[in-house]
Formats: sequence, structure tokens, C-alpha cells
Amino acid sequence: MATPTGAEGGTTPPGGADSADTDAGTFYECNICLDTARDPVVSMCGHLFCWPCLHQWLETRPQKQMCPVCKAGIGKDKVIPVYGRGSNNQQDPREKLPPRPAGQRSEPENQGGGFPGFGFGDGGFHMSFGIGAFPFGIFASTFNFNDGRPGPAPPGSPQNREEQFLSKVFLWVAILFIFYLLIA
Amino acid sequence: MGTNNKRLKKELMEMQSDPPENCSAGLVGDDIYHWQASIFGPEGTPYAGGIFFLDMKFPTDYPFKAPTIRFTTKIYHPNINSNGSICVDILRSQWSPAITVNKVLLSLSSLMADPNPRDPLVPEIAKLYEHDLAKYNKNAKEWTEKFAR
Repeated sequence: MATPTGAEGGTTPPGGADSADTDAGTFYECNICLDTARDPVVSMCGHLFCWPCLHQWLETRPQKQMCPVCKAGIGKDKVIPVYGRGSNNQQDPREKLPPRPAGQRSEPENQGGGFPGFGFGDGGFHMSFGIGAFPFGIFASTFNFNDGRPGPAPPGSPQNREEQFLSKVFLWVAILFIFYLLIA
Repeated sequence: MGTNNKRLKKELMEMQSDPPENCSAGLVGDDIYHWQASIFGPEGTPYAGGIFFLDMKFPTDYPFKAPTIRFTTKIYHPNINSNGSICVDILRSQWSPAITVNKVLLSLSSLMADPNPRDPLVPEIAKLYEHDLAKYNKNAKEWTEKFAR
């Protein structure tokens, strides 16, 4: 008894699905060939086309590419391929002359809820590194002057004094800069 | 070629099963690229009561190129000349493959009801339409009586 009703339950949906199918038939029609879209792509403005049909239209007017339905801007990189569940089974059509543009996969955005601490810490690390490295560079060059590399002028000469004065100036500039950073 | 053919067949079927108001279309012979259509003059216009026939030729790369359409019935209209050539943007620069015969006939029907004197094909009629509507109406009505009955 249970089986027949089950079978009946199984047979009714196809009838319903059939009418839904005819609806879907027009709903998923390509706006160019008016047939069920194959290798479907959808424009940013939401209009569905077969990729070969749209490609041919774009080739017809390369300098003025518009959506055939609403005349919005359209182009090869402005359409999204639509992959149904069975789309992996069609091997050849996509390899045909105009290859359908690939889908663009963007990473999910890290919204506040994810790892707020981690994200903030990451930024903090970059920040402190940037501040630390700059004065360190200045110190290094200052010490280089004081150590007296073989090249620089002999001690006591006016040039040496000038250099020492300059290095002190830079040192103070650096200290002031760090001080400024600390206050700011 | 095959797909165009398929689309034209589909459009033909649609035109015959669900034609737009006041319009009809069908093949001239057995050439799917050569159609004949008719538009009933819209009510409330000087074309009312007339039947206007059109000749439609489809290029082999239809729908990527617009069909060539001309009125075979003489009509007094600023955008349609004595050869029956029609000056309407959707059949020229504004053509799009999403436009169907159905939509073209509807646009032509609304062009008849609402001429566009700013882009005229027959300047004299356009001038009359803009400056002496009564005379335009009279002339258009006369032509309708004479040629479209």
C-alpha cells in the first residue's frame, strides 16, 4: 500500500516539473538566439546569453560594445560564466573558437567578525617596523662617520670638524624626529 | 547560418502563435529570409482604418545585422519616404540582436502614432507635422484612404 502512494508521489512532481520546465525554457533563453542558452554567460546588467552568440555580437561592433538588451557597457571581462551542475560534462563546446571567459574568484573579505586581533596585530607590526628602521639607519651612518673610514678627512682638519658638526646635526634631527613621533 | 535560421523559425512561430496587437507577419514564399508583414493603422491617428504592408529581408547574419524593412504601401509620414524606406534608429545604428520582428513591428506601429519630426526623411511632411498639424492629418488621412484600404 505504501509503495503505490510513494510511486504516485514520485510521478506527480514530474508533471509539475514539466510545466516548470517550459517556464524555465523561456526564462533561460539566450537573448540573441532565443534558444536555451548554451555555454551561458551573464552580463553585469543581468542579461543571459550563449557565449558564442554574445562573442559574435561583440565582434560585430568591437568599438561600441553594448548589452543587446539594455545597452549597458559590456565586454569579455564584464560577463560571468554560469556553470550549472551538469556543465562539467560538456567538454568540447567551451574549447570551441571563442573560449568562454573564466570566472573570477575573489577571496572572501575578512569582515570584522573573523580575527580582529590578528588583523590589528598584523598592522601594528608593520607600523613599528617602519618607525624603528628609519632612525636606526641614521645612527648607523652617524657611527660610520665617527669611526673614521679610511676615506674621510684626517681628524682636526676643517673638513673633519664640518663632518662631525653635520653628523651631530643629523643626530639631533633624528632625536627630534623620534621625539616628534613619540608625541604624535 | 543554422542558428539564424533557427531563430527566424522561432520568431515566425511566435509571430503566428502570439502576434502583437495590430500586426501580423509571415513568409512571402518559402524563403525564411524574406517576410511580409502588415500593420493596422493605429486608432486615433490619420492612419486608422488602413492596412500597411511591409517587406522584410533578413541578412544571413541576422540577428547580428538588422533586417531591411520597407513599407510597400504608400504612407504619408515624416519618417517614411516615397520608396517606403523607414528612418528609425533601431533599424540602423541602434540595432541590437535582442530586437525581434515582434518588437520592430511594435516600434513601427508606435512610430506611426508618434512621428519623429526632428529626424525626418521627408522634410516637407515633417515641417507640416510641426507647424500645421491639421493639414498633415488631412493629407495622411487622404493617403490612407487612397492607398491603404
